Amino acid sequence: MEILAVAALALVLLQPFLAGRLTNPAVQAGATVFVSIVIQALPFLVLGVVLSAAIAAFVPASFWRKALPKRPGLAVPVAGCAGAVLPGCECASVPVSGSLMSRGVAPAAALAFLLSAPAINPIVVISTFVAFPGQPMMAVARFGASLVTAVIVGWIWLRWGRGEWLRIPTSRHVEGQSRWQTFAAAATHDLLHAGGFLVVGGIAAAVLNVAIPQQWLQTLAEHPALAIVGLALLAVLLSICSEADAFVAASLTQFSLTARLAFLVVGPMVDLKLISLQAGTFGKSFMYRFAPTTFVMAVLMATVFGWWLL
Amino acid sequence: MRRDVQGAVLLLLGILLLRLTLGGSYVYYVKVSMKPFLLLTAVVLLALAAWSLWQAWRQSSDLVDDHGHNGVPQVAWLLVLPVLVVFLVSPRPLGAYTAARQLATAPVVAEPAELLPLPAGDPVDLPIADYITRAVWGQGQTLEGRDVRLTGFVTPDPDGGWWVTRLGLACCAADALSFRARVLGAEALPANTWVEVDGRWVRGDSGDPAIPLIEAEDVTRIPEPGNPYE
Repeated sequence: MEILAVAALALVLLQPFLAGRLTNPAVQAGATVFVSIVIQALPFLVLGVVLSAAIAAFVPASFWRKALPKRPGLAVPVAGCAGAVLPGCECASVPVSGSLMSRGVAPAAALAFLLSAPAINPIVVISTFVAFPGQPMMAVARFGASLVTAVIVGWIWLRWGRGEWLRIPTSRHVEGQSRWQTFAAAATHDLLHAGGFLVVGGIAAAVLNVAIPQQWLQTLAEHPALAIVGLALLAVLLSICSEADAFVAASLTQFSLTARLAFLVVGPMVDLKLISLQAGTFGKSFMYRFAPTTFVMAVLMATVFGWWLL
Repeated sequence: MRRDVQGAVLLLLGILLLRLTLGGSYVYYVKVSMKPFLLLTAVVLLALAAWSLWQAWRQSSDLVDDHGHNGVPQVAWLLVLPVLVVFLVSPRPLGAYTAARQLATAPVVAEPAELLPLPAGDPVDLPIADYITRAVWGQGQTLEGRDVRLTGFVTPDPDGGWWVTRLGLACCAADALSFRARVLGAEALPANTWVEVDGRWVRGDSGDPAIPLIEAEDVTRIPEPGNPYE
């Protein structure tokens, strides 16, 4: 607390001196992009945190045992499809799936939900439909490729994943606390925790947003296979909200539709701010395995669906 | 992280959101339609901040000394960063720097189902995206013979000449797309100058309809509009 107070005082004194020096247009643009990523994501993060705290505090664990099929192999696709009804972006789904795991939902099923929710919810599908007028198959291909990727990654985790890789967030229900106490404690903790990692991802994405030379994109677009992998990587780096990425994909007109589909399938599942959020919530040894697997699967599925439907 | 610090961090963040939203500069970062959600978020943040601070105060008065540590990692300190950036850099809306980076790619506007005739007005105020739609998809037919007014900022072209430009947001400033029309017959002003360009649509010499042109009759400097994006 004392550090915070001293730092605040020092900054108030230094502000006129510093503000005059940070006028470089790239720094200004980077700062605007950074703040905008944080501000855009905060309402969704708060929604996710409040929802997951509500799950922890008010929904009894027995509910999930009834709602989901007993066999985890069957629970994975059911949870994947359930992602279609949570109208949030990726920031919301990380705390929610963490909370599902701590309430006894099979990790593989919670992970399928984590991947599918930001990619196939109605808002995302509609915005994709709007961004690609005259190409309704784009929204269909995105929905299909995302759902299939989520379910396959869930099954991969079920078959080969090991419990010790994954740190399941513990529910912090303490005996003697009221439900509202549990709710507020869980929400505060998750918000500060996930928010810190959101900031890490936001910085990285803002730096890359102003630093990637546009000529690179031009060169990439000329090689069909490179273009797919290239746009998939760009989606990871830019970390755009899944409700907006379709409009950015639509603007990348020099790229093939399949490459742009890869951008749309990968973006909501693997990106810098998500990697940072997942490492914070589920642990680093989980993230090292989960993010690359998901990336490869998403690129594969985008290629298959692109070849089939577009 | 101690509970009182947690409260302080949430408090700072909540105040930042309130200040940006009520002060109006949130439109530099996100779409206008986000306003109610930002306010709601600020209320939740302030409520959780109040709860944390109250808990911290109550614990110290109860002489319960568990140091208040409850597993919030140090990374949470980073949430102070957006507050610092707004305070120190005081970011401006994105402008010519971002637009110039997009000069290599074609401006994208969706193909409209049908082009309605221009509304009444002389000159008629048009969003630049609308102007591009009419010039590119409609081959300029709905623009012919009409005086139009485009509002945007100046983006100088490295190869000479300048564009009247407006950035459009789909969601937040991270996905800003530039809409632009090349201005003929007017001296370039410094980058980021806000202008109203009165003029008429002209077909390019090269016959390339993908570059929307406007022959300027009059270029007026104006103050930055309340919402810098289109």
